[in-house]
Amino acid sequence: MSTERCFHCNEPVPAGLNFTLSFDGQSRAFCCVGCQAVADTIISSALADYYRFRTEPASKADALPEHLLSELSSFDAAEVLADVSQQQGELTEIELSVSGISCAACAWLIEKQLRQLTAVQQVNVNSATARCHLSWNAEQTPLSTILQSLAKIGYQASPFVADQEEQQFKTELNRFLKRLAVAGIMTMQVMMLAVALYFGDYTGIEASHQGYLRWISLILTLPVVLYAALPFVKSAWRGIKARQMNMDVPVSLAIYYTFFASAYATVFNTGEVYFESVCMFTFLLQLGKFFEYRARARARDATSNLLKIMPVSATLLNDTEQQIVSARRLNGGDVILIKPGETIAADGEVTLGSSSADESMLTGEYAPVAKRIGDTVLAGSVNHDGLLQVKVTQPLAASRLGQIIQLQQRTLSQKPAVLEKTDRLARYFVERLLLIAAATFVLWYVWLDTDRAFWVTLSVLVATCPCALSLAAPTAVTCALANLNRRGILIKNAGVLDVLPQLSYIVFDKTGTLTEGRFSVKAVQLFSPELSQADALNLIANLEVYSEHPISKAFAPYLTQKLPLTDVDIQVGAGIRAQYNAQQISVGSAAFCHVNDTGAMVYLSIDKQAVAAVELQDALRREVPELLQQLRQGGYKLMMLTGDSSSQADQLQQQLQFDTMVKGCSPEQKVDEINQLVRAGHKVMMLGDGINDSPGFHAAHVSVTLETGSDLSKNQADVVLLQPSIQLLSALLEGSNKAQGIIKQNLRWAVGYNLLIIPLAVAGFVSPYIAVLGMSFSSLLVVSNSLRLLKK
Amino acid sequence: MSIIYVLIPIAILFVIIGLSVFFWAVRARQFDDLDKEGFSILFDEERKASSKTAEKPEDKPGQ
Repeated sequence: MSTERCFHCNEPVPAGLNFTLSFDGQSRAFCCVGCQAVADTIISSALADYYRFRTEPASKADALPEHLLSELSSFDAAEVLADVSQQQGELTEIELSVSGISCAACAWLIEKQLRQLTAVQQVNVNSATARCHLSWNAEQTPLSTILQSLAKIGYQASPFVADQEEQQFKTELNRFLKRLAVAGIMTMQVMMLAVALYFGDYTGIEASHQGYLRWISLILTLPVVLYAALPFVKSAWRGIKARQMNMDVPVSLAIYYTFFASAYATVFNTGEVYFESVCMFTFLLQLGKFFEYRARARARDATSNLLKIMPVSATLLNDTEQQIVSARRLNGGDVILIKPGETIAADGEVTLGSSSADESMLTGEYAPVAKRIGDTVLAGSVNHDGLLQVKVTQPLAASRLGQIIQLQQRTLSQKPAVLEKTDRLARYFVERLLLIAAATFVLWYVWLDTDRAFWVTLSVLVATCPCALSLAAPTAVTCALANLNRRGILIKNAGVLDVLPQLSYIVFDKTGTLTEGRFSVKAVQLFSPELSQADALNLIANLEVYSEHPISKAFAPYLTQKLPLTDVDIQVGAGIRAQYNAQQISVGSAAFCHVNDTGAMVYLSIDKQAVAAVELQDALRREVPELLQQLRQGGYKLMMLTGDSSSQADQLQQQLQFDTMVKGCSPEQKVDEINQLVRAGHKVMMLGDGINDSPGFHAAHVSVTLETGSDLSKNQADVVLLQPSIQLLSALLEGSNKAQGIIKQNLRWAVGYNLLIIPLAVAGFVSPYIAVLGMSFSSLLVVSNSLRLLKK
Repeated sequence: MSIIYVLIPIAILFVIIGLSVFFWAVRARQFDDLDKEGFSILFDEERKASSKTAEKPEDKPGQ
């Protein structure tokens, strides 16, 4: 027990803190006031089961800042609420996106907490997607009260509007599930009857019984071919209409040819029936498709909280009267008030006040941009510590944020197409297979044995049935996706695995991708011997607690002991001043602290005496140099495109030695740079995290983003790295190479087997029975080979 | 063996019932979040035990 861990969030408890609660007869320690308050609420509302059954620690609970509380109440305005919810009679229905859900116990906790409110009629939390569906009486209890009661138990929720595409995903997924059930259950039934028929063949069976069992099998197979196998037929039909043979053409052909041949045999009481093969084949293929689709739906759900960055509400100033309105309904000329910490709701011009804004989401630059009267502000950026009055110049849709989203949709259709290998192979294969089958039929019908022509043709088709061929790629891809997912790599577009092995160029964004995207302390210079470095940093951290500025977050880890401060005074864009032990402490710029500027970013002075100077930087991620080294050895060309035009870009280039580096890029320039590479014949991967990168995502063949990235970029990227480490990139490349290898082996086997069996089948040596055996065996081999990818 | 003429249709009837129950479950969104449902059994048991003492009195004033 070297370090004690927080009972609520499992983070180490800083030394010298004493936040405890008694639970189950034991004293439990907490890392901060926030966690303690949350645990207190949970235990006192008889929800302590959460702690007994949870499988993951909760996320750290920050005490809810004042400005957030006021932001919550902005959702109560009828106009804003109407934009994010639906009215069903007396009740209001809303979809909330909840952050902080780490395991299924959280879902239970939230449901219980909300059901304690009398106005809540129905609540359903989905722990996989971190969404909460809520229906309640909005007149009885405002939405802000509900959101606050969630905040009390440590979850931050915000309204969410699911887009249409997501709704379609949901219904489609349910359809998949139903088809899978039909195919699976019918397979079991038909298989059972098939066993009876097999035994009948050896031990003798009454003709009437055989006929009966065949008819029953036929009836049970009908739902499979008419319902479960329908997507294959539809896709095959689309392919044929577009004159593009895809893998579904031979699949549907095999299913329906086998079915009709068996039906013919049943009706006319001759030959063999293969109903069980039809069912099993459909079931296995549907299973693969279902898994792939579910992975995609999950990835989408988890990352599609797109609308969160679009500002929802704004405070409109009307003859000095404040009114909360929906951000979408702002027009040019409106004057809005922007409080500290709020997201700016529209592009506009500052008419009153001064502050600084975080525009990193839009420009990629992390350093806050100072905003004074006359400066322009951008929708989607976050106001830091000052109160601003802004005259709206453009409505939200025409803002810079809106333009970037539009640019993105334009580039979507330009995505470089990668022809799927198996589809190409299938086209080649199916055409020849059909020719051979037709030739076989004619050969037997005209010259050899007219009676056997139909059955020999059937065995040619069954033996060469493209099961193995069509299972070769999908099973391998499914297994690779599952394996990578377990390692924290979410692949939203399975086609990516096809492209990755051919990759030649990797494009990196700088801020937030190569660097951590936040300030951290680089060096501390002390001017007086009285204070140690730790004490100085603790003092600064105590003052910075009062600030919303991004710089203040750099000091949060150094807060070791709470000091009693009085008369705290925040000067926007300059610093913070407070009284401690009858001394005046100042933290901020050199001028603010009355000391000589030595080039550092933050100074500390006590009674106007310089005490310390702190240099801050946006630190490089620790794993980056090693990763780049590996990639270079792997033969990839590396490029850095950054929106940052400062000298930090050059420093980084000096240190990391990219093949190409372009700084000061706008989103459009990033797209241009990538397009040039694509035109030069490179296969390009783009790695980025900001909204300014997302248009480039579509220009590249493969796009990768980090979990810490903006929601928009997560929504657009093909791959999301779920851990805060870009080292996963090498795991991704390795995994895709392995999958490619397995697919090649599978294809080789399938093609080799077919080449061997076709001449035998054409010659009439393969009875339909042997054909089914051979088909099943080669499919099994392919599936088990793919399963090797699941191993770590 | 003529019993199969009766038994197999009965078996098919059961299959149809089973499938329609499954379809209903899908429609009732029971498959949306499988993780949570796995947990619900734990919590429900606990709630019944404690509901008489802790929860009922809380519920009453609200109604």
